[in-house]
Amino acid sequence: MSLELPAAGSPRGVLAIGRSVRRVRPIILPIVTLTAVLLLWQLAAVRLHIPSVLLPTPSDIAQEMWHALPLLVDQAVPTALDTLLAFAAAAVLGIGLAIVITYSRPLRDTLYPNLVFFQLVPKVALAPLFVIWLGYGSPARVAFAAFISFFPVVISAALGFAGTDPAVLRLCRSLTASEWRSFLLVRFPFALPAIFSGFKVAMTMAVVGVIIGEFISSQAGLGHYILRAGSRLETADVFAALVALSVLGVALYGAVALAELGVRRAYGRR
Amino acid sequence: MSTDKLAPSIEVNGVSKVYRAGTAAAVEAVSTVSFTVPQGQFVAILGPSGCGKSTLLMMVGGLEAVSSGRLIVDGKPMTGPRTSIGVMFQDPTLLPWKSALDNVLFPVRVLKRSIADHRAAANNLLQQVGLDGFEHKRPHELSGGMRQRVAICRTLIYDPDVLLMDEPFSALDAISRDEMNELLLDLWQQFTKTALFVTHSIREAVLLADRVLVMTRRPATIVEDLTVPFARPRSMALGENREFNEICRHLRERIEDGHGRSRAPRAGTTTRRHEAAR
Amino acid sequence: MALLDAISGADAAVPNGRILRLVLLPLGFAAVMIALWQILCQTLQVRPILLPPPSAVWTVLRDNYAILLDQTLPTLSESILGFVVASVLGVAIAVALTSSRWLREALYPGIVMFQLIPKIALAPLFIVWLGVGETTSVVVAVFIAFFPIVVSTATGLVSAKPEVLQLCKSLTASEWQIFRMVRFPYALPYIFAGMKVGVTMVMIGVVVGEFITAQNGLGYIIMFAAGAGETATVLAAIVLLCVIGLGLYGVIGLAELLVLRWFGGEAPISGVI
Repeated sequence: MSLELPAAGSPRGVLAIGRSVRRVRPIILPIVTLTAVLLLWQLAAVRLHIPSVLLPTPSDIAQEMWHALPLLVDQAVPTALDTLLAFAAAAVLGIGLAIVITYSRPLRDTLYPNLVFFQLVPKVALAPLFVIWLGYGSPARVAFAAFISFFPVVISAALGFAGTDPAVLRLCRSLTASEWRSFLLVRFPFALPAIFSGFKVAMTMAVVGVIIGEFISSQAGLGHYILRAGSRLETADVFAALVALSVLGVALYGAVALAELGVRRAYGRR
Repeated sequence: MSTDKLAPSIEVNGVSKVYRAGTAAAVEAVSTVSFTVPQGQFVAILGPSGCGKSTLLMMVGGLEAVSSGRLIVDGKPMTGPRTSIGVMFQDPTLLPWKSALDNVLFPVRVLKRSIADHRAAANNLLQQVGLDGFEHKRPHELSGGMRQRVAICRTLIYDPDVLLMDEPFSALDAISRDEMNELLLDLWQQFTKTALFVTHSIREAVLLADRVLVMTRRPATIVEDLTVPFARPRSMALGENREFNEICRHLRERIEDGHGRSRAPRAGTTTRRHEAAR
Repeated sequence: MALLDAISGADAAVPNGRILRLVLLPLGFAAVMIALWQILCQTLQVRPILLPPPSAVWTVLRDNYAILLDQTLPTLSESILGFVVASVLGVAIAVALTSSRWLREALYPGIVMFQLIPKIALAPLFIVWLGVGETTSVVVAVFIAFFPIVVSTATGLVSAKPEVLQLCKSLTASEWQIFRMVRFPYALPYIFAGMKVGVTMVMIGVVVGEFITAQNGLGYIIMFAAGAGETATVLAAIVLLCVIGLGLYGVIGLAELLVLRWFGGEAPISGVI
């Protein structure tokens, strides 16, 4: 079936241009919106003479970022390291426990409801306890962040392992595959999407945990920087640190998303 | 019944549908299709999946825009959906939180007609399709066939003149499907409406329809227009009739022809066998 | 939650043995852990500043009942207010987003981006704007709780089957009718799933708000007692926070159960928090 392509300038040609615009619109529109918001913010702050303590202009913030960049990077390093350490601990412990409760029914019945219970209660309230136990240093923050990000990993991974297609597991048994092999070849790949959705939640929780830890205990890190700048009413500094923290948060989340893409590709899924 | 005397209900005149027109990825889903359906005729559109028959149906229902050509229903050109046209989908599309009865009454609610006036009619319809006692069950408590029966009732409750059915029974198992065919034959005796019925089952098409249009994939057009010679009322027993099987075989060959050729002839060579005995 | 939902969904017909296993086993485990905690604290002579025994926590709860209740009330009211505001705001914004393609394409990526940012870090900013007080805690809570509700509701509002929407169009239904009769009901399970996440977020926001504004509330008690080395009081306040958190979650969970029963059929989603 051959189709005559419409000549340029014909109504169909105009339509085609309209269509290609529509395709890039989802990318352009958010950028335009962001720019518009920043411009409006700048204009409003300048025109309405909003004191910079309350709302610094975007240009102030950009300037502050530029000046404080070495300092911000300095502060971002401990925050990032603590977060990564906490995430790694939560991921390893979480998957380990998920495997245990997948294979042991008594343990599952005993532990799972308690895990869900912990998932629901406001665990952040325990932050000061970690300071009491582990002191004002980085171990308290890492332990606290690992503690709050551990639960989403266990629960998603356990759901993922339990959600494996039973027909495929039956096939494994019919092939007399060992538990370990059927775990490696079937359960684990099946659970990957669930595990990674747990990882994504865990990574954002780990950042939150480290920040809260830095709020209440730290002498360094972006959380500490934000709190201190806030108390000194250096609002532009607060915003600059928030931007740095956002970049860090998105980068860490992006790393998990990227890892998911790689692992899923390795397993031949999408 | 001489259908020629009745006014045409659906007129499809050189209708095409092109997706992503004007781009390199343009796809012609329907290619200059023409046919007319007289009032009260049951027409089946038969073809392999992906041949554009559903797109054609959606255009007749005003749910898809026509790329080129003319489409007239009941003397007025189609510009959008109309309440004189009822549509049934492959999925029963029942609302999961409503009972069977409330699902049947859904169009009444949308059209802001009186629920009280239609309640008796809805119960009556449910009874006719064999769902008495199930009025207050919800979709998840009904079988696939039962859900599709509710969908039929929902289409009949607001009494459209034209029924468009898009493979309504293709998601059902073979036994339920036979039951639904029988039910539709029964209902057809009472509510004679104009109908377009899209299917990929040859036997279903011949059993139900007064006329079968065969559609092929490349090009997405009609290659055969066959009048089914069997008188109504019909029953499932028709399936054992020798002539029935002959017609089915002929249609299968036509579908395979259209399939095998990369460049099939255009509408001009469409065979017409309107004269078949009645 | 799907595992638990599956369990609770099936409990109508379970024999006594299963109830025993599903309810008593986890409760028994918790009881054993608490008993072990008590025994270990006593036999190992753990310093109460590090880890007081459960009995000490109970003593605090019993003896300082009035003071603790005094501090529980502001936390409770902040949580409820924060949750209500976050829910109303979240659903309203989601409706606006899904009703306009332009709005959606312009704002939705930003909202998803905000999901990834540790919003809790903005708390000091709210202190700058609103001062130290209950308003700040509520605003912090609303700010972090409303994003999951927006995202979940928006997902729900576009989750109606396309065929159902076509059916509505074939009936010449208006956009408002489609929203009222189809889109919104289809979104209800998603709205409640979002609210469940929202309720836990509200608790985080309120507690962190109280941590850093330090005026009153259980978060303030926790910080204050931790600073004074009264760990038993910290744990007592945490127990009360857990009661509030679970109570609110329970109310939403119950409402969700009713909605799902009304919705009929299998739930379209099972939310993992």
